[in-house]
Amino acid sequence: MNPRRVAAISAKEFIHIIRDPRTLLIIFIMPVLLLMMFGYAFNLEIQDVRVAVIDDDNSALSRQLIERFEGSPFFTVFHYQGSREDLETLFLERDARAILSIPENFAATLIGKHPAGIQVIIDATDPNAATSINNYCRQIVTDFNAGLSGGAAMPFTLESNIWYNPEMRSAPFFVPGILALLLIMISALLTSITITREKESGTLEQILVSPIRPGEIIIGKVLPYILIAFLDGSMILILGVTVFKVPFVGSLFLLALLMALFVLTALSLGLILSTIASTQQVAMMLAFVLTLLPTLLLSGFIFPLASMPLPLQLISTIVPAKYFLVIVRGILLKGNTIAELLVQVLWLAGMSVVLLTISWRKFSTNLER
Amino acid sequence: MNEIAVQTQNLTRRFGKFTAVDRLTITVSRGEIFGFLGANGAGKTTAIRMLCGLLLPSEGEATVAGFDVYKSSEAIKKNIGYMSQRFSLYDDLTISENIDFFGGVYGLSPALIEERKEALIEQVGLGDFRKRLTRDLPLGFKQRLALGSAMLHDPPIIFLDEPTSGVDPRARREFWSIINELAAAGKTVFVTTHFMDEAEYCHRVSIMRAGKLIALDSPGKLKESYGRNNMQDVFVALVNDEDPRPEEQL
Amino acid sequence: MTKIFYMIRKEFLQIFRTREMVAILFIMPVIQMVVLGFAVTNEVKHITLIIADRDNSRLSREIVAAFSNTDRFDITGRETDVREIGLDIHRWKAQAALIIPNHFGRDFRRGLRPDIQMIVDGLDGNAAGVSVGYAGGILREWAEAQARQTPRLAMVKQNTPQLELIERLWYNLDLRSAQYMVPGIIVVLLTIISMLLSALSLVKEREVGTLEQLMVTPLSRFELLMGKLAPFLILAFIEFFVVLGAAQVIFPITMKGSYALLSLEAFLYLFTTIGLGVMISTIAKSQQQALFLSWFFMLFLLMMSGLFIPIANMPQFLQDLTLLNPMRYFMAIIRDVFQKGSGWQYLFTDTWRMTLLGTLIFAVSVLRFRKRVS
Ligand SMILES: Nc1ncnc2c1ncn2[C@@H]1O[C@H](COP(=O)(O)OP(=O)(O)OP(=O)(O)O)[C@@H](O)[C@H]1O
Ligand SMILES: [Mg+2]
Repeated sequence: MNPRRVAAISAKEFIHIIRDPRTLLIIFIMPVLLLMMFGYAFNLEIQDVRVAVIDDDNSALSRQLIERFEGSPFFTVFHYQGSREDLETLFLERDARAILSIPENFAATLIGKHPAGIQVIIDATDPNAATSINNYCRQIVTDFNAGLSGGAAMPFTLESNIWYNPEMRSAPFFVPGILALLLIMISALLTSITITREKESGTLEQILVSPIRPGEIIIGKVLPYILIAFLDGSMILILGVTVFKVPFVGSLFLLALLMALFVLTALSLGLILSTIASTQQVAMMLAFVLTLLPTLLLSGFIFPLASMPLPLQLISTIVPAKYFLVIVRGILLKGNTIAELLVQVLWLAGMSVVLLTISWRKFSTNLER
Repeated sequence: MNEIAVQTQNLTRRFGKFTAVDRLTITVSRGEIFGFLGANGAGKTTAIRMLCGLLLPSEGEATVAGFDVYKSSEAIKKNIGYMSQRFSLYDDLTISENIDFFGGVYGLSPALIEERKEALIEQVGLGDFRKRLTRDLPLGFKQRLALGSAMLHDPPIIFLDEPTSGVDPRARREFWSIINELAAAGKTVFVTTHFMDEAEYCHRVSIMRAGKLIALDSPGKLKESYGRNNMQDVFVALVNDEDPRPEEQL
Repeated sequence: MTKIFYMIRKEFLQIFRTREMVAILFIMPVIQMVVLGFAVTNEVKHITLIIADRDNSRLSREIVAAFSNTDRFDITGRETDVREIGLDIHRWKAQAALIIPNHFGRDFRRGLRPDIQMIVDGLDGNAAGVSVGYAGGILREWAEAQARQTPRLAMVKQNTPQLELIERLWYNLDLRSAQYMVPGIIVVLLTIISMLLSALSLVKEREVGTLEQLMVTPLSRFELLMGKLAPFLILAFIEFFVVLGAAQVIFPITMKGSYALLSLEAFLYLFTTIGLGVMISTIAKSQQQALFLSWFFMLFLLMMSGLFIPIANMPQFLQDLTLLNPMRYFMAIIRDVFQKGSGWQYLFTDTWRMTLLGTLIFAVSVLRFRKRVS
């Protein structure tokens, strides 16, 4: 390995990148926008659910019940005036997501010390929201019953202790996710393209006739991207800690080290894609599909892996972001040490070694033929 | 025979502060082979692009086939064939598919496409290769095929931007015999080249330096007035900014 | 018009020349749909739980049994030492711990309302909240069952009237995630393919130089763009049906609405995404840039589409911003057609907004796309 030659290739690649300020703009502005958007949009807790109320009883008691719905921060209540046959229009027009219907002699039944039933119809197209709506309704009914019976409560208390993120904010959760997304994008996507591009345009041959060895080419070409990935990653982290108030409990050095490991894994992924794809277009499509959605959906970024069926959990073991997320979250919030993250570190390292070995072999044979 | 095919008056193109073509004034008549010489970066491609309606001039006038480059670039496109400096066929299509495609987009009828395709394949001598991907052809064949494809619609004016770079001498000679035939048939050929032997084949050549036209005449007259034996020496002298006349004439 | 035909034919020839491309176009999306369709569920299940039963009485063991009988929690260990529990959570061995105090059974029977403690790893705020909710639910149910057996412990005084809640879930009785998510994923896949393909293909022709050759042909700008884009429109449309068909075979989802309506909407939507592709191609200088831009575009579209973050949850200004996101409309449309069987009159607003947006995007892109170089 000759550092001078590596530097020459890196310099050339770097010029490629900065020659066109547009790329730089995309690489450095977009992540900030992304972070901002997540910051505001990432809220899985439902709110402002519109509930149509049909109060056939119109008694003091029924109004009391409705007031409880109105008092809840989750519901926005309005009275439904239309005909009963057209009830479904409420859902079809997306005017309401639940309909609360109180029968005619609701108060009378309750005062006569009989159980009275109210009905809530929920638009369950979004099953998750439906479950939440259902739970909130039940909660209101339970409270209402407690009010009726003069306030007897559960025969025990449940005290919950939320660690690391007591207010249960979403930022500590999604900032690491965005970090993973960006690093994977820059490392895997960019490498896969740069190498196929050179293959296609014939400049690779040009480089190959020089006394450079394949390893030097690869290292030289990916170095600038490692640098960019690091800059971008640091930017996200700084914004996350300052603007989004994500705690940083653990070791900065360890985080940087493991970030480098993750970048290495992502680069190896990009390399292998570029060695198997025959054209730039194929490499790009592959890289796009293989990095964006799995990193977003199969890494535990948004959807908890444990809830997924077993085959998917198996698939997720080869998604590098899965391990990196644990690492970043662990170091930032829990202050994990490397010993505590050994499993994740070993997975990432193992994947890098395997991918690198395969692409190295493929790359060398491709060229020597 | 003396109709005007291409005429420009102070045609200028700037990229930012840089002037790539500077007040170019030329007149090319029908049936002429007009050579366009100049060092790399002299502005030849830029000038051709303006004439083909691909690039708007910054200043000056130009008409091609009687149409104005500002207002009627679409009308110009019906009357010209253009072979760009970069390879201009689809290399992932076969020869036959490429010809079908270009014939089609020029609006030829399928029968006519078929006829011209056969003629072209015949002429280039590619009979056995019609189902081959274009990327697998030798460059000389590719270039002649590209010329044929740019000419499928039988345009009166043809712009060729370095059509023979990288082509072997024999193929180049064949290429130029086609150009001569075209000119004899009354077509105007506007060609750029870095080969001075090719310059000798042109009826008139113009030499550009840093965007400016510095010489324009027939090869014979140029050699005579600069007192050199071949175009090569004339060219080198001119682009080197020497006073081109030999010392004894001073 | 025949010129466009030649353009289309050429494009198809090029696409189908590469085997890998065919696989990427038709097999990849199906695989992705299957994988993601199963993956994307907001449900929180199998929360790893440590039980600290310090009482070890009959009652406390009953509670433990209740927690082990649900798939919402997976009991991963028993440990009474709080320090050890803390370490386990710290080391990602468990996400939560349930601590049943000493003398729980005795205090419970005496009506002393003993205090059960739950420690939750709050990294994932959403999951943390949900797991506390689950635990509360399980405990409440257990307590209610206790009350029925031993009236003395009843939570509420007897003889008080009770309000009962009767729930009716419409459209998705079993609350199956796939029913909601799979159509959404189809939209995402469709968008990726159509946007990326059209952007890359235009930029590629410019990079290689063939676009310049096309520009000197008498093809009008409209013909040139149509000829370039119609193939992708057709491909994406076919793709839509392939993925839709596969989804119906593989997932237990039902389609209540009209296929004709859905196809029409899909067609309108694809116009927009292909327009976005052209827009990207006019901004990007190289295929690499086009890819980058698409990647970010895609993330923004996706996040703001309501696929998994309901738009209603966002602050008002972001909700207003989503009005500019074409994916938002088609996402809502496909879900409503699938589950509610909504007719066009209910989708009218979404449709015209989407179409207007699509027309604008397309118009701007076409105007930006010049038949000249640089
Ligand atoms: N789109 C553009 N933007 C900026 N500068 C340009 C652009 N196109 C060409 N130039 C510059 O204009 C000058 C003339 O370029 P042109 O391609 O016309 O030269 P040429 O005579 O064709 O050279 P060659 O023999 O190398 O083909 C060059 O210096 C080139 O860098
Ligand atoms: Mg040139």
